[in-house]
Amino acid sequence: MASTDGDRPESKLAAEIEVEAYRRLFPLPYYDRHLVESVRPDGRALGQARETTIAVGPVSSANGSALVKLGDTTMLAAIKLEVMTPSTKSPDEGSLAVDFYMPPICSPSIRPGRPADTAPVIAKQLSDAISSSGMINLKELSLVSGKAAWMAYLDIYCLNADGSLFDAALLSATAAFSHLQIPLVSLNDSGRVITISEEQKGKSVSEPLNKEIRKLAIKNTPFSLTCILHDKHILADPTSEEESVMDTHVTVVLDSKGRLVSSYKAGGSVLLSRSMIKNCMEIAKQRMEELGEILKESLSAMEID
Amino acid sequence: MASGPLETYSPSQTLERRHQQQKRKSFNEIDWARSDGRNFHQCRPAYLRTGATSSASGSAYAEFGSTKVIVSVFGPRESKKAMMYSDVGRLNCNVSYTTFSTSTRGQGSDNKDFSSMLQKALEGAIILETFPKTTVDIFALVLESAGGDLPIIISCASLALADAGIMMYDLVSAVSLSCFGKNLVIDPTSEEEACQDGSLMIAYMPIRNEVTQFTLTGEWSTAKINEAMELCLDACSKLSNILRSCLKENVLDFTD
Repeated sequence: MASTDGDRPESKLAAEIEVEAYRRLFPLPYYDRHLVESVRPDGRALGQARETTIAVGPVSSANGSALVKLGDTTMLAAIKLEVMTPSTKSPDEGSLAVDFYMPPICSPSIRPGRPADTAPVIAKQLSDAISSSGMINLKELSLVSGKAAWMAYLDIYCLNADGSLFDAALLSATAAFSHLQIPLVSLNDSGRVITISEEQKGKSVSEPLNKEIRKLAIKNTPFSLTCILHDKHILADPTSEEESVMDTHVTVVLDSKGRLVSSYKAGGSVLLSRSMIKNCMEIAKQRMEELGEILKESLSAMEID
Repeated sequence: MASGPLETYSPSQTLERRHQQQKRKSFNEIDWARSDGRNFHQCRPAYLRTGATSSASGSAYAEFGSTKVIVSVFGPRESKKAMMYSDVGRLNCNVSYTTFSTSTRGQGSDNKDFSSMLQKALEGAIILETFPKTTVDIFALVLESAGGDLPIIISCASLALADAGIMMYDLVSAVSLSCFGKNLVIDPTSEEEACQDGSLMIAYMPIRNEVTQFTLTGEWSTAKINEAMELCLDACSKLSNILRSCLKENVLDFTD
């Protein structure tokens, strides 16, 4: 490596340090100069999302679970089923509780005891997107009409926060629901629902409530894409650095048929023009198809195992 | 009944209770088989990896059987404003559980007990003089709890500290052990922990031959304690080698 022109590597190093310093000192001009060339600092095109992987069933103590990696953003979703008494208004419907957690391991800015401000916001958006897309038919969670129904606790943990948290969380939620298996249960003498274990299966004490371990029928899966608007540029799937430098974020949620479920734009310095909205939708639609493929692949990979 | 938060219960509770009663009976016998097919003096297979979370200064993921833990280390960074001046660095530890870590859904709250135990176990191994006035934060999240949580958190945290480049005298590895009548069972699962007569946990620095933490509960005879300590220390040394090779692999990957 010790080359003949000895001063070369040194000057290269100096240039590198300058770029890094420039990035930290003047983040906005740094991004502007990239965006003019239609490229982002991590080498992506403007409308390109990061590499996405889904692993289903990593948590054995849950009824359904999924781990999603969106670039460096990592989400772990798990669903636990418990039994509840359905409300008198809807006696043959189960229920769903969504929660989103940002434990202190996920980001240097979160300290224990002080929950992140964004966590409850994302939790609300998630539960809205899941309920309004009609992905889950709550009637399927019923056990005995008016007496017992499943309560599905969906808990999503952000293990590493690097931007586009809502997109990753929603994807992990849909993957966990696709993986969810409803266990075999029966009623005991005191009217409580109990699980039937493997060894009890043959010499069943009481009639099982459901014939076999089953999965939920999932339709109209919602997929989302967050974009950053900056001048005339639309940056899909931003990292946390991009999110902190540029402040106008638009999230579009589409279902698998391409219908708009919801769309958020919480303030920001850039105002949306109609053509911008259209462009965002267009990118979101492409992304929706991409994510649908990835989800299908990961689920079929699981079935082979 | 309809008012207030919904009352829910896990349908597997009854089953588990019955299961545990059966187990407790069998543990009292001299000879029984462990549910995962290990013999009494055999640890669970360990999978360890550094660099689990990219936003931290250092991090590690550990999986022992189905116990899964992530530890992130942040800093050294500025101490809280209210803190007094200190010549040596501070350690701030926090251990929390996910709501789905145990078989029945929990609250996902912090475990204060383990947080302070973790701090005490690591304090002696870190050269605190190298980062005066600042704090190193060690945050652990238990993704799935299936026994031996604290020793695994301690081992994983020492790996994360090494990954973060915090100066240490030696890696700390920790192993726990359960006592059932005449039998000593190493690296117990939560099922075994629930029925144990006594327990021992040792956090150890093999190269310096020093113990940073030693907890003993239950009824023990001196002879039994000695035997149990030998077993634990031996397992700690072996675990330490695994931790070391995990760090080495990382460096090799980096240079390639």
